Amino acid sequence: MENVSLDRREFLKKAGMAGAASIFLASPWLSVFSDSKYTDKSVVRLGIIGPGSRGRYLTQLLAQNKKADIAALCDIYQPSLDEALKIAPNAKTYKDYRYLLEDKNIDAVIIATPLNTHCQIALDAFDAGKHVFCEKSIGFTMEECFAMYNKHKSSGKVFFSGQQRLFDPRYIKVMEMIHQGTFGDIQSIRAFWFRNGDWRREVPSPKLERLINWRLYREYSKGLMTELACHQLQIGSWALRSIPNKVMGHGAITHWKDGREVYDNISCIYVFDNGQKLTFESVISNKFYGLEEQILGTLGTVEPEKGKYYFENVPPAPGFLRLINDVENQLFNTLPFAGTSWAPETANKNEGDYILGDKPKGDGTDLMMDAYVEAVITGKQPINVAEEGYYASALTLLGDMAMEKGEMLTFPDQFKLDYLNHHKTVIS
Amino acid sequence: MKDTIITAKQKKREALTWLVCFLIANLINFYAIITYDNTSFSELFTSLGYVFVASLTIYFLWTIIRLLFYGLKKMLKTKK
Repeated sequence: MENVSLDRREFLKKAGMAGAASIFLASPWLSVFSDSKYTDKSVVRLGIIGPGSRGRYLTQLLAQNKKADIAALCDIYQPSLDEALKIAPNAKTYKDYRYLLEDKNIDAVIIATPLNTHCQIALDAFDAGKHVFCEKSIGFTMEECFAMYNKHKSSGKVFFSGQQRLFDPRYIKVMEMIHQGTFGDIQSIRAFWFRNGDWRREVPSPKLERLINWRLYREYSKGLMTELACHQLQIGSWALRSIPNKVMGHGAITHWKDGREVYDNISCIYVFDNGQKLTFESVISNKFYGLEEQILGTLGTVEPEKGKYYFENVPPAPGFLRLINDVENQLFNTLPFAGTSWAPETANKNEGDYILGDKPKGDGTDLMMDAYVEAVITGKQPINVAEEGYYASALTLLGDMAMEKGEMLTFPDQFKLDYLNHHKTVIS
Repeated sequence: MKDTIITAKQKKREALTWLVCFLIANLINFYAIITYDNTSFSELFTSLGYVFVASLTIYFLWTIIRLLFYGLKKMLKTKK
Protein backbone atom coordinates (compact mmCIF):
# COMPACT_ATOMS: atom_id res chain seq x y z
CA MET A 1 0.00 0.00 0.00
CA GLU A 2 1.37 3.41 -0.93
CA ASN A 3 2.17 5.77 1.88
CA VAL A 4 0.44 9.00 0.94
CA SER A 5 1.04 10.91 4.13
CA LEU A 6 1.26 14.50 3.05
CA ASP A 7 2.43 17.55 4.86
CA ARG A 8 2.19 20.92 3.19
CA ARG A 9 5.56 20.65 1.53
CA GLU A 10 4.86 17.14 0.30
CA PHE A 11 1.47 18.23 -0.96
CA LEU A 12 3.03 20.98 -3.06
CA LYS A 13 5.64 18.53 -4.29
CA LYS A 14 2.98 16.00 -5.23
CA ALA A 15 0.94 18.76 -6.79
CA GLY A 16 3.92 19.83 -8.89
CA MET A 17 4.04 23.32 -7.41
CA ALA A 18 6.79 25.38 -5.85
CA GLY A 19 6.13 26.28 -2.22
CA ALA A 20 4.62 29.70 -1.71
CA ALA A 21 2.63 31.25 1.11
CA SER A 22 0.31 32.86 -1.43
CA ILE A 23 -0.93 29.42 -2.49
CA PHE A 24 -2.29 28.93 1.02
CA LEU A 25 -3.83 32.40 1.00
CA ALA A 26 -5.77 31.55 -2.15
CA SER A 27 -6.66 28.05 -0.89
CA PRO A 28 -6.60 28.19 2.93
CA TRP A 29 -8.13 24.72 3.28
CA LEU A 30 -4.77 23.22 2.30
CA SER A 31 -3.75 23.82 5.91
CA VAL A 32 -5.53 20.50 6.47
CA PHE A 33 -2.21 18.86 5.63
CA SER A 34 -0.23 20.84 8.19
CA ASP A 35 -0.51 18.24 10.96
CA SER A 36 -0.14 15.19 8.76
CA LYS A 37 3.37 14.33 9.92
CA TYR A 38 1.95 13.85 13.43
CA THR A 39 -0.85 11.58 12.25
CA ASP A 40 1.25 8.88 10.62
CA LYS A 41 0.25 6.24 13.12
CA SER A 42 -3.45 7.08 13.07
CA VAL A 43 -6.03 5.15 11.13
CA VAL A 44 -9.61 6.20 10.50
CA ARG A 45 -12.35 3.63 10.09
CA LEU A 46 -14.60 4.57 7.23
CA GLY A 47 -18.04 3.51 6.12
CA ILE A 48 -18.92 3.85 2.44
CA ILE A 49 -22.63 4.47 1.94
CA GLY A 50 -23.48 3.97 -1.71
CA PRO A 51 -20.53 2.23 -3.38
CA GLY A 52 -21.89 2.64 -6.89
CA SER A 53 -19.53 3.77 -9.63
CA ARG A 54 -18.52 7.05 -7.97
CA GLY A 55 -18.54 5.51 -4.50
CA ARG A 56 -16.24 2.73 -5.65
CA TYR A 57 -13.88 5.22 -7.27
CA LEU A 58 -13.59 7.05 -3.96
CA THR A 59 -13.17 3.71 -2.17
CA GLN A 60 -10.30 2.80 -4.48
CA LEU A 61 -8.54 6.06 -3.69
CA LEU A 62 -9.06 5.58 0.04
CA ALA A 63 -7.79 2.03 -0.17
CA GLN A 64 -4.41 3.44 -1.21
CA ASN A 65 -4.18 5.54 1.95
CA LYS A 66 -2.59 3.67 4.85
CA LYS A 67 -4.39 5.97 7.29
CA ALA A 68 -7.78 4.85 5.98
CA ASP A 69 -9.47 1.57 6.78
CA ILE A 70 -12.57 0.79 4.75
CA ALA A 71 -14.44 -0.87 7.57
CA ALA A 72 -17.99 -0.94 6.25
CA LEU A 73 -19.93 -0.83 3.02
CA CYS A 74 -23.63 -0.14 2.62
CA ASP A 75 -25.83 -0.38 -0.44
CA ILE A 76 -29.31 -1.62 -1.23
CA TYR A 77 -28.06 -2.93 -4.59
CA GLN A 78 -26.13 -6.18 -4.08
CA PRO A 79 -24.01 -6.01 -7.31
CA SER A 80 -22.56 -2.69 -6.10
CA LEU A 81 -21.70 -4.23 -2.75
CA ASP A 82 -20.08 -7.21 -4.44
CA GLU A 83 -17.92 -4.96 -6.61
CA ALA A 84 -16.93 -2.82 -3.62
CA LEU A 85 -15.94 -5.90 -1.65
CA LYS A 86 -13.31 -6.61 -4.28
CA ILE A 87 -11.65 -3.34 -3.21
CA ALA A 88 -12.24 -3.71 0.52
CA PRO A 89 -12.68 -7.44 1.16
CA ASN A 90 -12.59 -7.12 4.95
CA ALA A 91 -15.37 -4.56 5.17
CA LYS A 92 -18.63 -5.38 6.91
CA THR A 93 -21.62 -5.00 4.62
CA TYR A 94 -24.98 -3.42 5.35
CA LYS A 95 -28.21 -2.97 3.44
CA ASP A 96 -29.47 -0.21 5.71
CA TYR A 97 -27.20 2.74 6.47
CA ARG A 98 -28.74 3.21 9.91
CA TYR A 99 -27.13 -0.03 11.11
CA LEU A 100 -23.79 1.14 9.75
CA LEU A 101 -24.17 4.39 11.70
CA GLU A 102 -24.82 2.41 14.88
CA ASP A 103 -21.35 0.88 14.61
CA LYS A 104 -19.32 2.82 17.18
CA ASN A 105 -16.08 1.83 15.50
CA ILE A 106 -16.87 3.82 12.40
CA ASP A 107 -15.32 7.29 12.58
CA ALA A 108 -16.55 8.76 9.34
CA VAL A 109 -18.74 8.09 6.35
CA ILE A 110 -18.62 8.69 2.63
CA ILE A 111 -22.06 9.32 1.14
CA ALA A 112 -22.29 8.60 -2.59
CA THR A 113 -25.95 7.68 -2.88
CA PRO A 114 -28.58 9.22 -5.19
CA LEU A 115 -29.00 12.93 -4.51
CA ASN A 116 -32.45 12.78 -2.94
CA THR A 117 -31.12 10.58 -0.11
CA HIS A 118 -28.04 12.66 0.83
CA CYS A 119 -29.64 14.94 3.38
CA GLN A 120 -31.25 12.37 5.66
CA ILE A 121 -28.19 10.13 5.65
CA ALA A 122 -25.89 13.07 6.40
CA LEU A 123 -28.09 14.40 9.19
CA ASP A 124 -28.30 10.92 10.74
CA ALA A 125 -24.55 10.50 10.40
CA PHE A 126 -23.84 13.79 12.18
CA ASP A 127 -26.32 12.76 14.90
CA ALA A 128 -24.46 9.47 15.23
CA GLY A 129 -21.22 11.40 15.81
CA LYS A 130 -19.67 10.59 12.44
CA HIS A 131 -17.65 12.89 10.22
CA VAL A 132 -19.27 13.24 6.81
CA PHE A 133 -18.05 13.36 3.24
CA CYS A 134 -21.04 13.84 0.96
CA GLU A 135 -20.90 13.78 -2.80
CA LYS A 136 -22.20 16.85 -4.56
CA SER A 137 -24.74 18.27 -4.72
CA ILE A 138 -25.04 17.94 -1.00
CA GLY A 139 -28.79 18.42 -0.84
CA PHE A 140 -31.84 18.03 -3.05
CA THR A 141 -33.21 21.44 -2.06
CA MET A 142 -31.72 24.64 -0.66
CA GLU A 143 -33.49 23.87 2.62
CA GLU A 144 -31.75 20.52 2.80
CA CYS A 145 -28.33 22.05 2.05
CA PHE A 146 -28.88 24.65 4.75
CA ALA A 147 -29.97 22.02 7.26
CA MET A 148 -26.89 19.89 6.48
CA TYR A 149 -24.53 22.83 6.85
CA ASN A 150 -26.11 23.86 10.14
CA LYS A 151 -25.97 20.31 11.47
CA HIS A 152 -22.28 20.20 10.59
CA LYS A 153 -21.72 23.42 12.53
CA SER A 154 -23.72 22.33 15.57
CA SER A 155 -22.17 18.86 15.66
CA GLY A 156 -18.59 20.10 15.29
CA LYS A 157 -17.91 17.21 12.94
CA VAL A 158 -15.91 17.45 9.73
CA PHE A 159 -17.97 18.06 6.59
CA PHE A 160 -16.60 17.67 3.08
CA SER A 161 -18.46 17.67 -0.20
CA GLY A 162 -17.23 16.27 -3.49
CA GLN A 163 -15.76 19.53 -4.81
CA GLN A 164 -12.47 18.04 -5.91
CA ARG A 165 -11.36 21.15 -7.78
CA LEU A 166 -10.57 22.66 -4.37
CA PHE A 167 -7.70 20.15 -4.23
CA ASP A 168 -6.77 20.10 -7.90
CA PRO A 169 -3.21 21.49 -8.28
CA ARG A 170 -4.10 23.28 -11.51
CA TYR A 171 -6.94 25.16 -9.88
CA ILE A 172 -4.98 25.88 -6.72
CA LYS A 173 -2.12 27.37 -8.73
CA VAL A 174 -4.31 29.32 -11.08
CA MET A 175 -6.44 30.75 -8.27
CA GLU A 176 -3.26 31.98 -6.63
CA MET A 177 -2.38 33.74 -9.90
CA ILE A 178 -5.90 35.16 -10.24
CA HIS A 179 -5.88 36.51 -6.68
CA GLN A 180 -2.47 38.07 -7.29
CA GLY A 181 -3.99 39.96 -10.25
CA THR A 182 -1.95 38.15 -12.90
CA PHE A 183 -4.94 38.14 -15.26
CA GLY A 184 -6.31 41.56 -14.25
CA ASP A 185 -9.89 41.96 -13.08
CA ILE A 186 -12.00 38.90 -13.74
CA GLN A 187 -14.98 40.02 -15.77
CA SER A 188 -16.70 36.83 -16.68
CA ILE A 189 -16.53 33.07 -16.36
CA ARG A 190 -17.90 30.89 -19.13
CA ALA A 191 -18.41 27.38 -17.85
CA PHE A 192 -19.66 24.59 -20.05
CA TRP A 193 -19.89 20.84 -19.97
CA PHE A 194 -20.74 19.14 -23.24
CA ARG A 195 -21.16 15.44 -23.81
CA ASN A 196 -22.67 13.31 -26.52
CA GLY A 197 -24.45 10.43 -24.88
CA ASP A 198 -27.77 9.58 -23.30
CA TRP A 199 -26.30 9.46 -19.77
CA ARG A 200 -28.01 6.13 -19.22
CA ARG A 201 -26.63 3.11 -17.42
CA GLU A 202 -27.46 -0.40 -18.47
CA VAL A 203 -30.37 -1.78 -16.49
CA PRO A 204 -30.60 -5.56 -15.89
CA SER A 205 -34.33 -5.38 -15.22
CA PRO A 206 -36.91 -2.66 -16.04
CA LYS A 207 -37.82 -2.65 -12.34
CA LEU A 208 -34.40 -1.19 -11.60
CA GLU A 209 -34.64 1.62 -14.14
CA ARG A 210 -35.23 4.41 -11.62
CA LEU A 211 -32.85 2.92 -9.08
CA ILE A 212 -29.94 2.80 -11.51
CA ASN A 213 -30.77 5.72 -13.81
CA TRP A 214 -31.82 7.96 -10.94
CA ARG A 215 -29.99 10.92 -12.50
CA LEU A 216 -32.65 11.09 -15.22
CA TYR A 217 -35.65 11.50 -12.92
CA ARG A 218 -36.62 14.60 -11.00
CA GLU A 219 -37.76 12.58 -8.03
CA TYR A 220 -34.09 11.78 -7.36
CA SER A 221 -31.99 14.36 -9.17
CA LYS A 222 -31.93 17.81 -10.75
CA GLY A 223 -29.99 16.42 -13.69
CA LEU A 224 -27.17 18.34 -15.32
CA MET A 225 -27.29 21.12 -12.75
CA THR A 226 -26.73 18.99 -9.68
CA GLU A 227 -24.45 16.47 -11.38
CA LEU A 228 -22.26 18.75 -13.50
CA ALA A 229 -22.83 22.46 -12.85
CA CYS A 230 -22.14 21.99 -9.16
CA HIS A 231 -18.41 21.57 -9.83
CA GLN A 232 -18.13 24.54 -12.10
CA LEU A 233 -20.23 27.08 -10.19
CA GLN A 234 -17.84 26.74 -7.29
CA ILE A 235 -15.07 28.11 -9.52
CA GLY A 236 -16.90 31.44 -9.59
CA SER A 237 -16.90 31.97 -5.84
CA TRP A 238 -13.29 30.82 -5.62
CA ALA A 239 -12.03 33.05 -8.42
CA LEU A 240 -14.08 36.13 -7.60
CA ARG A 241 -14.24 35.59 -3.84
CA SER A 242 -17.89 36.47 -4.07
CA ILE A 243 -21.21 34.67 -4.28
CA PRO A 244 -23.48 35.50 -7.23
CA ASN A 245 -26.80 36.84 -6.08
CA LYS A 246 -28.98 36.48 -9.15
CA VAL A 247 -29.60 33.71 -11.63
CA MET A 248 -31.70 33.25 -14.74
CA GLY A 249 -31.78 30.35 -17.12
CA HIS A 250 -33.59 28.00 -19.43
CA GLY A 251 -33.69 24.26 -19.70
CA ALA A 252 -35.33 21.86 -22.10
CA ILE A 253 -35.31 18.31 -23.36
CA THR A 254 -34.32 18.83 -26.97
CA HIS A 255 -32.70 15.59 -28.03
CA TRP A 256 -32.97 12.66 -25.61
CA LYS A 257 -36.75 12.32 -25.59
CA ASP A 258 -36.64 8.88 -24.03
CA GLY A 259 -38.84 9.29 -21.00
CA ARG A 260 -36.33 11.16 -18.91
CA GLU A 261 -37.54 14.02 -16.77
CA VAL A 262 -34.40 16.12 -16.45
CA TYR A 263 -33.22 18.59 -19.08
CA ASP A 264 -30.62 17.62 -21.66
CA ASN A 265 -30.03 21.20 -22.80
CA ILE A 266 -29.53 23.94 -20.21
CA SER A 267 -28.11 27.40 -19.95
CA CYS A 268 -27.88 29.62 -16.88
CA ILE A 269 -26.48 33.08 -16.17
CA TYR A 270 -25.33 33.89 -12.66
CA VAL A 271 -24.80 37.56 -11.83
CA PHE A 272 -22.40 38.82 -9.19
CA ASP A 273 -22.90 42.01 -7.19
CA ASN A 274 -20.89 44.23 -9.53
CA GLY A 275 -22.29 42.75 -12.71
CA GLN A 276 -19.70 40.10 -13.43
CA LYS A 277 -21.24 36.99 -14.96
CA LEU A 278 -20.80 33.29 -14.66
CA THR A 279 -22.55 31.36 -17.39
CA PHE A 280 -23.12 27.64 -17.37
CA GLU A 281 -24.16 25.71 -20.44
CA SER A 282 -24.59 22.00 -20.90
CA VAL A 283 -25.77 19.99 -23.88
CA ILE A 284 -25.45 16.22 -23.97
CA SER A 285 -25.91 15.74 -27.69
CA ASN A 286 -22.65 17.35 -28.84
CA LYS A 287 -19.25 16.93 -27.22
CA PHE A 288 -17.06 19.05 -29.49
CA TYR A 289 -16.18 21.68 -26.88
CA GLY A 290 -16.02 19.23 -23.97
CA LEU A 291 -15.63 20.68 -20.53
CA GLU A 292 -14.10 23.96 -19.46
CA GLU A 293 -14.32 27.02 -17.28
CA GLN A 294 -13.04 29.97 -19.28
CA ILE A 295 -12.04 32.64 -16.79
CA LEU A 296 -11.84 35.97 -18.58
CA GLY A 297 -9.72 38.72 -17.04
CA THR A 298 -8.72 42.10 -18.39
CA LEU A 299 -5.14 40.91 -18.85
CA GLY A 300 -5.62 37.27 -19.67
CA THR A 301 -7.74 34.16 -19.91
CA VAL A 302 -7.51 30.91 -18.03
CA GLU A 303 -8.74 27.52 -19.16
CA PRO A 304 -7.99 25.35 -16.12
CA GLU A 305 -9.37 22.13 -17.56
CA LYS A 306 -6.88 22.40 -20.41
CA GLY A 307 -4.40 23.51 -17.78
CA LYS A 308 -3.51 26.63 -19.75
CA TYR A 309 -3.60 30.40 -19.54
CA TYR A 310 -3.27 33.05 -22.21
CA PHE A 311 -2.32 36.68 -21.89
CA GLU A 312 -4.22 39.30 -23.87
CA ASN A 313 -1.08 40.97 -25.18
CA VAL A 314 1.31 38.43 -26.53
CA PRO A 315 4.91 39.67 -26.72
CA PRO A 316 5.75 40.26 -30.40
CA ALA A 317 8.20 37.99 -32.15
CA PRO A 318 11.80 39.22 -32.30
CA GLY A 319 12.40 41.98 -34.87
CA PHE A 320 14.71 39.69 -36.85
CA LEU A 321 11.93 37.13 -37.40
CA ARG A 322 9.44 39.84 -38.31
CA LEU A 323 11.85 41.28 -40.87
CA ILE A 324 12.40 37.87 -42.46
CA ASN A 325 8.66 37.24 -42.42
CA ASP A 326 7.97 40.56 -44.16
CA VAL A 327 10.63 39.91 -46.79
CA GLU A 328 9.24 36.43 -47.33
CA ASN A 329 5.70 37.80 -47.65
CA GLN A 330 6.85 40.37 -50.22
CA LEU A 331 8.64 37.71 -52.24
CA PHE A 332 5.88 35.14 -52.13
CA ASN A 333 2.73 37.23 -51.72
CA THR A 334 1.29 35.79 -54.88
CA LEU A 335 0.55 32.54 -53.04
CA PRO A 336 -3.16 31.80 -53.26
CA PHE A 337 -3.75 31.54 -49.51
CA ALA A 338 -2.06 31.48 -46.13
CA GLY A 339 1.72 31.63 -46.09
CA THR A 340 4.59 29.32 -46.73
CA SER A 341 5.05 26.64 -44.15
CA TRP A 342 8.65 27.53 -43.46
CA ALA A 343 7.99 31.20 -42.76
CA PRO A 344 8.54 32.07 -39.09
CA GLU A 345 5.41 32.94 -37.15
CA THR A 346 5.12 36.52 -35.96
CA ALA A 347 3.10 35.83 -32.82
CA ASN A 348 -0.28 35.90 -34.55
CA LYS A 349 -1.12 32.74 -32.65
CA ASN A 350 -1.55 32.68 -28.89
CA GLU A 351 -0.64 29.18 -27.82
CA GLY A 352 -0.76 30.05 -24.12
CA ASP A 353 1.24 28.47 -21.34
CA TYR A 354 0.61 25.50 -19.12
CA ILE A 355 -0.35 26.41 -15.57
CA LEU A 356 1.90 23.75 -14.11
CA GLY A 357 4.29 23.50 -17.03
CA ASP A 358 2.73 20.35 -18.43
CA LYS A 359 -0.53 18.77 -19.54
CA PRO A 360 -2.96 18.24 -16.64
CA LYS A 361 -2.83 14.99 -14.72
CA GLY A 362 -5.62 13.89 -12.37
CA ASP A 363 -8.42 16.07 -11.05
CA GLY A 364 -7.66 16.45 -7.35
CA THR A 365 -10.03 13.72 -6.14
CA ASP A 366 -7.15 11.71 -4.65
CA LEU A 367 -5.84 14.73 -2.76
CA MET A 368 -9.37 15.60 -1.63
CA MET A 369 -9.79 12.14 -0.13
CA ASP A 370 -6.38 12.40 1.55
CA ALA A 371 -7.47 15.74 2.96
CA TYR A 372 -10.69 14.22 4.30
CA VAL A 373 -8.77 11.46 6.07
CA GLU A 374 -6.41 14.02 7.62
CA ALA A 375 -9.32 16.17 8.76
CA VAL A 376 -11.09 13.18 10.31
CA ILE A 377 -7.94 12.18 12.20
CA THR A 378 -7.37 15.65 13.59
CA GLY A 379 -11.06 16.46 13.93
CA LYS A 380 -10.35 19.89 12.48
CA GLN A 381 -12.63 21.26 9.78
CA PRO A 382 -10.52 22.82 7.00
CA ILE A 383 -11.30 26.47 6.38
CA ASN A 384 -13.98 27.19 3.76
CA VAL A 385 -14.42 23.61 2.54
CA ALA A 386 -17.95 23.24 3.94
CA GLU A 387 -18.91 26.76 2.83
CA GLU A 388 -17.65 26.28 -0.72
CA GLY A 389 -19.52 22.99 -0.90
CA TYR A 390 -22.68 24.52 0.53
CA TYR A 391 -22.73 27.42 -1.90
CA ALA A 392 -21.87 25.28 -4.92
CA SER A 393 -24.92 23.14 -4.14
CA ALA A 394 -27.20 26.03 -3.18
CA LEU A 395 -26.38 27.94 -6.38
CA THR A 396 -26.94 24.82 -8.44
CA LEU A 397 -30.38 24.39 -6.93
CA LEU A 398 -31.20 28.07 -7.31
CA GLY A 399 -30.31 27.80 -10.99
CA ASP A 400 -32.58 24.81 -11.35
CA MET A 401 -35.41 26.73 -9.67
CA ALA A 402 -34.84 29.66 -12.05
CA MET A 403 -35.14 27.33 -15.04
CA GLU A 404 -38.23 25.65 -13.64
CA LYS A 405 -39.97 28.94 -12.91
CA GLY A 406 -38.66 30.76 -15.98
CA GLU A 407 -37.78 33.71 -13.77
CA MET A 408 -34.71 35.57 -12.61
CA LEU A 409 -34.19 34.57 -8.98
CA THR A 410 -32.27 36.26 -6.19
CA PHE A 411 -30.37 34.26 -3.58
CA PRO A 412 -32.80 33.98 -0.63
CA ASP A 413 -31.63 35.81 2.49
CA GLN A 414 -32.68 32.96 4.78
CA PHE A 415 -30.11 30.64 3.19
CA LYS A 416 -27.15 33.01 3.37
CA LEU A 417 -24.13 32.19 5.53
CA ASP A 418 -21.56 34.58 6.92
CA TYR A 419 -19.26 33.95 3.99
CA LEU A 420 -17.56 36.25 1.49
CA ASN A 421 -20.10 38.91 0.42
CA HIS A 422 -22.98 37.14 2.16
CA HIS A 423 -24.14 37.84 5.68
CA LYS A 424 -26.38 35.64 7.72
CA THR A 425 -29.83 37.04 8.22
CA VAL A 426 -30.71 37.38 11.88
CA ILE A 427 -34.39 36.71 12.39
CA SER A 428 -35.59 38.67 15.39
CA MET B 1 37.81 8.94 -56.76
CA LYS B 2 40.79 11.06 -55.95
CA ASP B 3 41.69 12.60 -52.58
CA THR B 4 40.77 16.22 -52.02
CA ILE B 5 43.18 18.47 -50.25
CA ILE B 6 41.83 21.50 -48.45
CA THR B 7 44.70 23.78 -47.71
CA ALA B 8 45.05 25.83 -44.57
CA LYS B 9 44.66 28.93 -46.69
CA GLN B 10 41.33 27.70 -48.06
CA LYS B 11 40.11 26.84 -44.58
CA LYS B 12 41.04 30.28 -43.36
CA ARG B 13 39.29 31.88 -46.33
CA GLU B 14 36.09 29.89 -45.72
CA ALA B 15 36.14 30.71 -42.01
CA LEU B 16 36.54 34.39 -42.82
CA THR B 17 33.76 34.15 -45.38
CA TRP B 18 31.41 32.67 -42.81
CA LEU B 19 32.45 35.33 -40.27
CA VAL B 20 31.51 38.02 -42.78
CA CYS B 21 28.15 36.25 -43.28
CA PHE B 22 27.65 36.17 -39.51
CA LEU B 23 28.46 39.88 -39.33
CA ILE B 24 25.98 40.61 -42.11
CA ALA B 25 23.29 38.59 -40.29
CA ASN B 26 23.99 40.55 -37.12
CA LEU B 27 23.71 43.81 -39.03
CA ILE B 28 20.35 42.66 -40.39
CA ASN B 29 19.26 41.86 -36.83
CA PHE B 30 20.44 45.33 -35.71
CA TYR B 31 18.47 46.92 -38.57
CA ALA B 32 15.37 44.90 -37.59
CA ILE B 33 15.66 45.97 -33.95
CA ILE B 34 15.77 49.68 -34.79
CA THR B 35 13.12 49.39 -37.50
CA TYR B 36 10.40 47.38 -35.76
CA ASP B 37 8.27 48.44 -32.77
CA ASN B 38 8.40 46.67 -29.41
CA THR B 39 11.90 45.38 -29.85
CA SER B 40 14.83 45.53 -27.47
CA PHE B 41 18.59 45.57 -27.96
CA SER B 42 18.72 42.44 -25.84
CA GLU B 43 17.55 40.72 -29.05
CA LEU B 44 21.15 41.12 -30.24
CA PHE B 45 21.82 38.23 -27.85
CA THR B 46 18.45 36.51 -27.53
CA SER B 47 18.11 36.16 -31.32
CA LEU B 48 21.62 34.82 -31.80
CA GLY B 49 20.21 31.38 -32.65
CA TYR B 50 18.19 32.83 -35.55
CA VAL B 51 21.17 34.98 -36.57
CA PHE B 52 23.43 31.93 -36.64
CA VAL B 53 20.97 30.05 -38.86
CA ALA B 54 20.68 33.10 -41.09
CA SER B 55 24.49 33.35 -41.33
CA LEU B 56 24.65 29.74 -42.52
CA THR B 57 21.94 30.47 -45.07
CA ILE B 58 23.84 33.50 -46.37
CA TYR B 59 27.04 31.46 -46.46
CA PHE B 60 25.26 28.69 -48.37
CA LEU B 61 23.83 31.15 -50.89
CA TRP B 62 27.22 32.85 -51.30
CA THR B 63 28.83 29.45 -51.84
CA ILE B 64 26.34 28.64 -54.61
CA ILE B 65 27.11 31.97 -56.27
CA ARG B 66 30.84 31.28 -56.01
CA LEU B 67 30.46 27.76 -57.38
CA LEU B 68 28.48 29.09 -60.34
CA PHE B 69 31.05 31.80 -60.93
CA TYR B 70 34.07 29.48 -60.77
CA GLY B 71 32.23 26.83 -62.75
CA LEU B 72 31.45 29.25 -65.55
CA LYS B 73 35.00 30.61 -65.44
CA LYS B 74 36.41 27.08 -65.73
CA MET B 75 34.03 26.26 -68.58
CA LEU B 76 35.06 29.35 -70.54
CA LYS B 77 38.74 28.59 -69.89
CA THR B 78 38.36 24.99 -71.14
CA LYS B 79 36.66 26.17 -74.36
CA LYS B 80 39.61 28.44 -75.15
